[in-house]
Amino acid sequence: MVSRRNFLGGAALAAGTVSKVAMAALPEPVIQTSPDTQPPLQPASGRPYNPVVTLNGWTLPWRMNGGVKEFHLVAEPVVREMTPGFKAHLWGYNGQSPGPTIEVVEGDRVRIFVTNKLPEVTSMHWHGQRLPCGMDGVTGLTQAPIAPGKTYVYEFVARRPGTFMYHPHADEMVQMAMGMMGLWITHPKGKHPLIDPVDRDYVFLLNAYDIEPGSATPKIMTMLDFNLWTWNSRVFPGIAPLVARQGEKVRIRVGNLTMTNHPIHLHGHEFMVTGTDGGPVPRSARWPEVTTDVAVGQMRQLDFIADEEGDWAFHCHKSHHTMNAMGHNVPTMIGVDHRQLARKITQLVPDYMVMGERGMHDMTEMEMPLPDNTAAMMTGHGPFGPVGMGGMFSMLKVRKDQKAGDYSDPGWFKHPPGTLAHEWQGPLAEPARPAASAGTPAVEVNIRKPTGAHHGH
Amino acid sequence: MRRLLAFLSLALLGGCAGFSADGGFGPVQLSARTHLDKELRWARSDAERAAIQQRVAELLTRPLDAEAAVQLALLNNRGLQASFHELGISEADFVQAGRLPNPGLSLASLQRGDEHELERGLHLNLARLLALPWAGQLEARRFEQSKQRVALEVLSLAAETRKAWIEAVAAEQARRYAGQVMEAAEAGAELARRMAQVGNFNALQRAREQGFYADAALGLARAEQQQRARRERLTRLLGLWGEQATRLALPERLPELPAQADELPEIERIGMARRLDVQGARLASEALARQLGLSRVTRLVNVLELGLVRNSSNQAPTQRGWELSLELPLFDWGQARVQRAESQYLQALERVAETAINARSELREAYGNYRSAHAIAQHHLQEIVPLRQRIAEENLLRYNGMLIGVFELLADTRAQIASVASAIDAQRDFWLAKADLDQALLGKPGLAQAGAITATPAAADSGGH
Repeated sequence: MVSRRNFLGGAALAAGTVSKVAMAALPEPVIQTSPDTQPPLQPASGRPYNPVVTLNGWTLPWRMNGGVKEFHLVAEPVVREMTPGFKAHLWGYNGQSPGPTIEVVEGDRVRIFVTNKLPEVTSMHWHGQRLPCGMDGVTGLTQAPIAPGKTYVYEFVARRPGTFMYHPHADEMVQMAMGMMGLWITHPKGKHPLIDPVDRDYVFLLNAYDIEPGSATPKIMTMLDFNLWTWNSRVFPGIAPLVARQGEKVRIRVGNLTMTNHPIHLHGHEFMVTGTDGGPVPRSARWPEVTTDVAVGQMRQLDFIADEEGDWAFHCHKSHHTMNAMGHNVPTMIGVDHRQLARKITQLVPDYMVMGERGMHDMTEMEMPLPDNTAAMMTGHGPFGPVGMGGMFSMLKVRKDQKAGDYSDPGWFKHPPGTLAHEWQGPLAEPARPAASAGTPAVEVNIRKPTGAHHGH
Repeated sequence: MRRLLAFLSLALLGGCAGFSADGGFGPVQLSARTHLDKELRWARSDAERAAIQQRVAELLTRPLDAEAAVQLALLNNRGLQASFHELGISEADFVQAGRLPNPGLSLASLQRGDEHELERGLHLNLARLLALPWAGQLEARRFEQSKQRVALEVLSLAAETRKAWIEAVAAEQARRYAGQVMEAAEAGAELARRMAQVGNFNALQRAREQGFYADAALGLARAEQQQRARRERLTRLLGLWGEQATRLALPERLPELPAQADELPEIERIGMARRLDVQGARLASEALARQLGLSRVTRLVNVLELGLVRNSSNQAPTQRGWELSLELPLFDWGQARVQRAESQYLQALERVAETAINARSELREAYGNYRSAHAIAQHHLQEIVPLRQRIAEENLLRYNGMLIGVFELLADTRAQIASVASAIDAQRDFWLAKADLDQALLGKPGLAQAGAITATPAAADSGGH
């Protein structure tokens, strides 16, 4: 739900730091309090366009002011629910991180007010836009920083259609690590030779955080060893599914504001990369893929026909990126016999439980107490048990009977008879193995030897 | 002459003293009862000895708490029994001092021609007779002092036993915890061995875990050594022999720390009034004052000798009479003895002052130690141990979430156990300080070097390897 409220009344900080007189001329800032995916915002004024759906996000309403589209972004500390039971203290815009998606149409004159309610200076860079240099938002280089309590105005024409982002260019290591970012979509004015109309248009940003389990604020100094890999600052199972009616043309736009690349992979369908933040890809340059790598600071636009019914996994193909908070220094316990030892350890640590002896899948099945306010490592559940994934993972849910424009989760897919993998009930032949290579190393590795023996290498 | 005789007879009556029924043990017993609430027995007969042995056996049937340990030591410590005999010796001296000096008899048979003269004389050391009342009083005081000394010995044995008991129990507890650390390390080492066996650990990682195990084993060996030494010290104080020593069982843990330390603002005043060493010193100085007086009075008379003479001769009527011989104080005016007594007296006065000064200071120190030890122990129990516990719980949660591995969990467990061990040490130090304080109120305490005993090394934080 979009809740409209005047933040002058609602937030004491604003009243204290932002002049009422200055605010009087501004469009009312709109604050979002829910982390759920909001329905597309149909344009009520200005040029018509086909709106996007921001995964676990929303689009910022605007007002028309003498033919200019006016938006108001408020940079402020926010609490973002990353997944049910885990809330992060981030910096964002208008109540959420990432901030609201800004949707405009090619040729629109856009005026954006940016109010700084952070404790430090900020600025706004409009990633990928053609604009006057003085509107590019690089602190020190193209503008003065926006001091706390101040509001700056950016104004330019959205010259080319495409997929863009916005983020600060002031103390950016901190401000990006704290979640300050948002999406910007410029829709084509009328029919575009390289931009096909689509039935559903999903957008999200890739972002990553390092939040110590049990705490809430990201560690801003972390460079690579993040423990929360998120889409729009949400981790699976907190990420909404992407829904489509069978046969619909679907577009997914992905932007990467993490510090590493992400091979985004879709099951059951092939897609074309039809655009980047540089603009639409010429048709002759497109090729089909099931995985596309989204490099750091890039945007990719994928188009495909959702013609296969089912619940299709959609995820980053770096396997650690489909995990939630976990230790990266935990020793591998696979194959280690814990018998007797577990009892001994239990004497010292009464609630100790053996884990990892047979791999980590146990983790998905055990419900064990965790530090407060953290995302369990792999807790997503499907119709056949634990999904065993978290982080950058969601599903494309394609249904015959999903109504056009209906974005609600249709539930789990009912597989038609004979289309589901099942247990083999017949006899099982012993596989033939070459005698020499099979036996020896396996026995060497698994046998119990007296302490100190150098076997198993 | 008549006067002299009257005086003599008075002196004889006054100075005459017999053996007491309890041999001076009564007051000692009373002091043990009032100060310690403990029974005291003097094994002077087989029946007494049997009764004591029975009581000892009875006390040994249960794990010995501090009070029972003190009781046992008071009954069974042979050194203490030996001290009781001091009383007998001292009483004998006292009784001896009350007895009349043995008179001397002289008999002379002299011949002069036909004259046969028989001289009989009865001599009495007049000085001793004169000094009899003083000497009696002196020995009475000495006897009193003996009783005081023995009573003090009882109290200090009690204090020593109490402390030995505290240390023995704490050492036992520490040994048990060292065993637990050892187990954690053992589990870690064994796990590391198995990890290496299946190829999940390299030699370095395995050796590191083995290293913890080796250290833990060393710690356990030291704790065992300490435990044995402490227990044997207690055994000695309890006077346990042979099979009795093996029956000695101690409780698993020290008594709980009291929620509040006692407030004793009047401690110096109470202590000065009660302390037996202060009283003893005062008594000694009084005795010396008497002795000084005595020396002054008898500086001349002590060379006086009175004799009865009866001379009979076969030629003459019997001569009767008395003789008094007097050493001329030409060379010895008795000054040296008076000087000595005076010096002794002044020395005693200084000793009293010194004892009092030390006593007050010891009381303050003991009280200060007691308060600090309580604060430290309470800090351990209310802050450090719960914090460690909290860390352990949080670490388990992190282990559950696969955020840390089992080795970190075990390393943390070791640290947690070590914090419990330090808390035990602090608790022990509190009880030792309490024992010192109790003792300081009665006599000279064997003040533990504050701080020196709390030398438990800080828990090595070895997590995250």
